[in-house]
Amino acid sequence: MIEVKTRIPLGIQRKSFESRFIESFSWTRRNNSLILTIKANHGNFSYDYFTIGYPPKLIIDLREVQEEQKAVRTIVIDPGHGGLESGAKGKFGTLEKEVTLGISLRLKTVIERNLAYRVVLTRDRDIDKALDDRAALANNNKADLFVSIHANSSYRKNARGSETYFLSLNATDEEARRLAYLENSSAQLEERIEGDNQDEIKMILWDMAQAAYLHQSSRLAELIQSELNVLLRTANRGIKQAPFKVLTGVACPAVLVEVAFISNPVEEKELGTEEFQYKVAEAVYQGIAKFLRRYSQ
Amino acid sequence: MDVKRLVILGALFVLLVILVIVFFIRGGGEKAIQSQVSPPPEMYHPSEKPQEKKKIILFFLSEDDTLLHPEEREIYASPSIVYEAKQVIEELIRGSQNDFLSPLPPQTRLRELYLPENGVAYVDFSKDFQGTHSSGSSAEISTVYSIVNSLTYNFRSIKKVFILVEGGEKETLGGHINLNIAFLPQYSLIAK
Repeated sequence: MIEVKTRIPLGIQRKSFESRFIESFSWTRRNNSLILTIKANHGNFSYDYFTIGYPPKLIIDLREVQEEQKAVRTIVIDPGHGGLESGAKGKFGTLEKEVTLGISLRLKTVIERNLAYRVVLTRDRDIDKALDDRAALANNNKADLFVSIHANSSYRKNARGSETYFLSLNATDEEARRLAYLENSSAQLEERIEGDNQDEIKMILWDMAQAAYLHQSSRLAELIQSELNVLLRTANRGIKQAPFKVLTGVACPAVLVEVAFISNPVEEKELGTEEFQYKVAEAVYQGIAKFLRRYSQ
Repeated sequence: MDVKRLVILGALFVLLVILVIVFFIRGGGEKAIQSQVSPPPEMYHPSEKPQEKKKIILFFLSEDDTLLHPEEREIYASPSIVYEAKQVIEELIRGSQNDFLSPLPPQTRLRELYLPENGVAYVDFSKDFQGTHSSGSSAEISTVYSIVNSLTYNFRSIKKVFILVEGGEKETLGGHINLNIAFLPQYSLIAK
């Protein structure tokens, strides 16, 4: 249903038509509006509409969903923690969950302004979100990339700087061999996932989905980390691997960025400022953009 | 008369000796029962002296770098690996005797340590292990691997370590590192 607001009383003319999609359409008046109702043959389409010229011509673009899905590409940004789970806490009371949300919201804006990707946030306000649900959200949105934003904390007072992590499998040699096989046949994995994805509402999570994307994830981590090093002039702590829960089930290249140490009073103060949060968002965006230029078709 | 007195004295003496012997035997017996409380009973051999010491290595953090640093410590040697492994964890909680940092909250208590045949040591901590932990990726990583490396480094039969809190599995310590898995050691984290 599309509502067309107009002050000009419009006459309605009907013309016959033929369409693969449209069974029928009808106009009805409501106050100053015309309501256009289009009845489709099936539910698998999306549309875009706009007006051109004068008198205005309304153009409605209908597309089959399969074409549409290829066109929309998605990056999932995950602001760490939230709600009751506030993550690490700084000496001056800065909470990890606040910093991660601030940076993630800025990152979404920068990405959507500059890249032809939509950004889905795992949370856009201060709410609890289970780690499994975050991975599932990425998989259900068929994310092309997953970037989790965190602020670090250490028992060491001197700890400072940025780190970018990708998943370590914590696998024995035998397990690693099996997973290497999985990585080599990641195209097949995707096919299998498609097949299993019959139930749209069902949250999808594969226990070790990330195993198939480790190589790409390490490349993404490198590119983001080198941008962080340049932009923030922080000590290069390099890319690292650890068994992060949130990355385990993500079925696309996925990294976790530890922006700076909230346990370090100097960095804690910085983390709280808008300027620093913007700089971080910019650096992460640059890394993502470089990765997409190099590796996406 | 004298003979009678001598017989009575002799009898009293013998009785005294018997009482003394019985006293010492029973006393020794109690001691054995007491020391059986701490090591697992199935592995304890009362004939052995349990006070023999053994050198082990613990891994702590340093302010100087991000690595884990070895520190030598003595524990009581025992034929029971579980008994020795428990001491390793307890020493780790007690903290460094040098200037290293301990990545385990000092309030933590080791509840139990299980070592089934599969080479996985299950280490069960009290709730303070999680409740008073300073959450954060680096903090969690150092906590996990100081435990895992300290156990696997000292005991060849321990291949992996599974961390439990209050007898149950936890998803993470503070929202980062996955505790639903048995950890392999990360010797790359150890300072050379």
